[in-house]
Amino acid sequence: MAELKSGNALSLAAGVIAVGLLGWWGISQERESAAPHTAHGRIPVYYWHMWSAEWKPVMENVVTEFNASQTKYEVIPLQVPYGNADSKFLLSVAGGDPPDVMAQWTQAISTWSQGGILQPLETRMTPTEKNYFDNETYPVIHNNGWYKGHLYGMVMGVDVYACYYRADDFKQAGVDPDPAKFPSTLEGLTALGKKLDRTDASGNLTRVGFLPAGLTQFAPAFGGGFYDQSTRDVALDTPQNLKALTYIVDEHNRLGMDRLLRYNASLKPQNGADWPFIDGSMSISLDGEWRVQQLAKFAPNLKYHVAPLPAPAGGKPMASFSVTNFLTIPAGAKHSEGAWEFIKFWAGMDNPARAAKYNTAFGWLPSSPRMAGSPVYQAYLKKYPEYKTFVDLAASKNIVTTPPVPYQMFLMDRISAADDLAERGSVTPGMALKGLTKDVTRERSQRKELGYDE
Amino acid sequence: MSNLPVDAGTVGSTGFMAASRRSRAFLTGLSPAQRFLAHTALLLLCLPALLPLFWMVSTSLKPETQIFDHSGTFGLANLIPHPAQWNNYPKALEAVPFEIYLKNTLFLCAFTVIGAVSSSSLVAYGFARLDFRGKTPLFLLMISTIALPAQVTMVPVFTLFRWLHWYGTYLPMIVPSFCGVPFYIFLLTQFYRNLPMELAEAARVDGASEWRIYWQIMLPLSRPALATCALFQFLGTWNDFLGPLIYINDPNRYTLAYGLQQLLSTHGGEWASLMADSTIFVLPVVVLFFFTQKTFVQGIATTGSKN
Amino acid sequence: MKKNWIGYAFISPWIIGFLLFTAFPFLSSVYLSFTRYNIITPAVWVGGANYHTLLTGDPLFWKSLGVTFRFAAIAVPLGIVAGVALALLLNLNLRGMGIYRTIFFLPSIVPTVATSVVFLWLFNPEIGLVNRLLKLVGVTGPPWLGSASWALPTLVLMSLWGVGGSMVIYLAGLKDIPSYLYEAAIIDGATPWQRLRHVTLPMLSPVIFFNLVMGLIGIFQYFTEAYIMTQGGPEDSTHFYALYLFERAWRYLDMGYASAMAWVLFLVIMAITGVMFWTQRRWVHYEG
Repeated sequence: MAELKSGNALSLAAGVIAVGLLGWWGISQERESAAPHTAHGRIPVYYWHMWSAEWKPVMENVVTEFNASQTKYEVIPLQVPYGNADSKFLLSVAGGDPPDVMAQWTQAISTWSQGGILQPLETRMTPTEKNYFDNETYPVIHNNGWYKGHLYGMVMGVDVYACYYRADDFKQAGVDPDPAKFPSTLEGLTALGKKLDRTDASGNLTRVGFLPAGLTQFAPAFGGGFYDQSTRDVALDTPQNLKALTYIVDEHNRLGMDRLLRYNASLKPQNGADWPFIDGSMSISLDGEWRVQQLAKFAPNLKYHVAPLPAPAGGKPMASFSVTNFLTIPAGAKHSEGAWEFIKFWAGMDNPARAAKYNTAFGWLPSSPRMAGSPVYQAYLKKYPEYKTFVDLAASKNIVTTPPVPYQMFLMDRISAADDLAERGSVTPGMALKGLTKDVTRERSQRKELGYDE
Repeated sequence: MSNLPVDAGTVGSTGFMAASRRSRAFLTGLSPAQRFLAHTALLLLCLPALLPLFWMVSTSLKPETQIFDHSGTFGLANLIPHPAQWNNYPKALEAVPFEIYLKNTLFLCAFTVIGAVSSSSLVAYGFARLDFRGKTPLFLLMISTIALPAQVTMVPVFTLFRWLHWYGTYLPMIVPSFCGVPFYIFLLTQFYRNLPMELAEAARVDGASEWRIYWQIMLPLSRPALATCALFQFLGTWNDFLGPLIYINDPNRYTLAYGLQQLLSTHGGEWASLMADSTIFVLPVVVLFFFTQKTFVQGIATTGSKN
Repeated sequence: MKKNWIGYAFISPWIIGFLLFTAFPFLSSVYLSFTRYNIITPAVWVGGANYHTLLTGDPLFWKSLGVTFRFAAIAVPLGIVAGVALALLLNLNLRGMGIYRTIFFLPSIVPTVATSVVFLWLFNPEIGLVNRLLKLVGVTGPPWLGSASWALPTLVLMSLWGVGGSMVIYLAGLKDIPSYLYEAAIIDGATPWQRLRHVTLPMLSPVIFFNLVMGLIGIFQYFTEAYIMTQGGPEDSTHFYALYLFERAWRYLDMGYASAMAWVLFLVIMAITGVMFWTQRRWVHYEG
């Protein structure tokens, strides 16, 4: 037995006691924070979201108004940083202690639904709500978030893309900047863009008229996309996708791959005040609806207009790719009725005009014509007239979204990789799409072998 | 401090003294030419080390629109904010509940440092200086525990902590550090193995227990290593945001690292705030290091027994 | 028996911690690697299917392993040489050494997210500092992170920037080298270079060994910077193994497959570590 002097034994004992106290304190903390801190015996509804910085008060305002509108539930929000929110959420569901409502920004509803992570929402709708949802909401709101016949994510905010263009650049080139006179075909737009390119004495680009990039952005206008609704299957190597990718790559080649790489790198990063559109590095830019509010804030004197991306010959007009955010109720949520009440309230299923206030605060597109026509939203459109183009787009049937397949994350990563390869000129567009199909087919057959159903 | 048979500080016989004086003079006093060379090398190397940090600080002081200005020529002027927005700092401090986060972070740091250093040195002594059956396999097992990416153990670990009812507390981040951290165990093992055997042997002959040898001989001799471990653990806990993110749901219990993550939002990167917060985040550790580095380093070692 | 008992007593904190916190997750993940598992629904046994797919049907597995190996092969030796050299330089008795040491330690304490942003800017092909400096001397810098052939070397350079961490460990090791060894060497008439070769480096070798093993283990799991800066691109040239593992586990919810990936990596790392430990007899010198 190793000798332990009494002094040492004492310090050892003290250490053990200290650790014990720590543990006891720790456990009591858990009991504290696990206890709901609600007022007046309301049922707590835990809500996790990722809106930070200037969006946090906007989010919390929705929560406050919901809490004030009824006395049964109290929503307790928790802001989680975006980068790891998914891991935290998944772990909490796995651990059996999920929040009751979770905002979801990743286009992973199908993946998560197959994993049994989310609860269906449409079963909770009353007939009136179902009627509103089915008949009044825009297609992009209604058609997304479904998996195997159930609605797992309620679409709240929708991003769509249209062409921003600088009026002065147009005038300089002798073109009328009136939106009604905007080129009506993609070919026309491309030619106009070419006219607007500027280079300096050594041949480096100083301004690009119109730079198409991103297969996902342009495929919809060509009638392409990644999912065939009729066959309910993924469709990658289609003639439309090939046309879209070829178009993009041709434009890149015209400008010069290397020159373009350096030019793109020289542009300011795309956020907020630094958007290259503002300083004139681009004359025409396909971008999302949130830019309208940003332009008003950072460049209120910039003269610009917005027009939908014109379709190429044989393509689809009023088309756009769309990324949406969702509200979900995880499996195992302890207060799912309260969760649904909150979602309903925010989405404005009973009163779209009231919910218009939240959409405008977030800078979101409306979810239904009734919301778009409400006084609040109309006032918003008056303030930001260029927003109207996006509202029109939101109502379009030609919106393309992430395919609702369980391997959608793998799919989108591979599409992005194939797109990157083609746009860098490492492979031809045809080869890129064929390689993409091969990768996805292999992944699907492996999943089948493992016993996943589609 | 002890009645050990060997005094760890003696230098030696007279002949030796002269030589050691000479040697110490040689080793400590470089010729002016050598000093100049050394300074030049250091200054040159300082540039790549400092430049990114300088950019960080200068960005934190710029108004939002100036940050990515790529107009025309490049000059050092681009690095100097003009005019300097000192109020970016109070603004950044307001963006997150700084004092609360700082308090929480310091609390966690204190406990994890104490736990990690004390337990790791205990375990390291066992591996380095004692013999027991299965020592090598156990040592390799210990090292192997960091060879498995944490991504795939996150779910079972989380489940484990939930089962222990530690979810929502700081315990998942504190208690494991009291059970030895392989990184420090390995590091300290290397240090202990490199200490001369004579002191310990003599003490054993004198009838001292292993605990006494550990506590009164080994620990004091390994102060630089222990201080290094403490520094690294402090840094690790200071920078850890994954732990609080996953296990804590109460906004009042989050830490500085978590607050830093909170600043990144979509649709708009507030570079100035992010850089200001990063600079504030880094400052305490810098100060800590600057004032405690004597513990890690000294120009020439003067400890260790003579032969 | 009595001797064993004492040894076990000293390492008991680790044993307890291992049994409590590590054993279950480790065994769990071994089991999970033989299943298909998406975190929520119970795991379903699939035998060796994951491993089979990994080794025969997944080009990205080999690609990412290659990227990681290439990165390790350059970054680890470079890091050790830089760390030791820097520590030796900073161990001299010059004025202002405290400030120098702090300066070189600074980079390794800056949070990864800030470092990544800084380096993204630094290596921007057009407006980044590096290329601008190169332009001043008439050289057109490469596209760095925007090029499939330059992205990985750029990350290697970036890893060097954090050498301050290992430098501190080397400094602590240098401090422990007893001066009488140097004194004896000087009496024997050794030149500074010989003192370096025959006193400093051998006495430092345990710490060098430590950094070598830890460096390898760490670098094989490298992914945060790639995740933030390049997301694996361009063209998968920075698609590190650990990054792919993360995607499989947390994006595609393919945790069973990710577990298999983790254990393959584990075996690779342990094999290399085992070789390191076996060779340490040849070049690592323990005074005690």
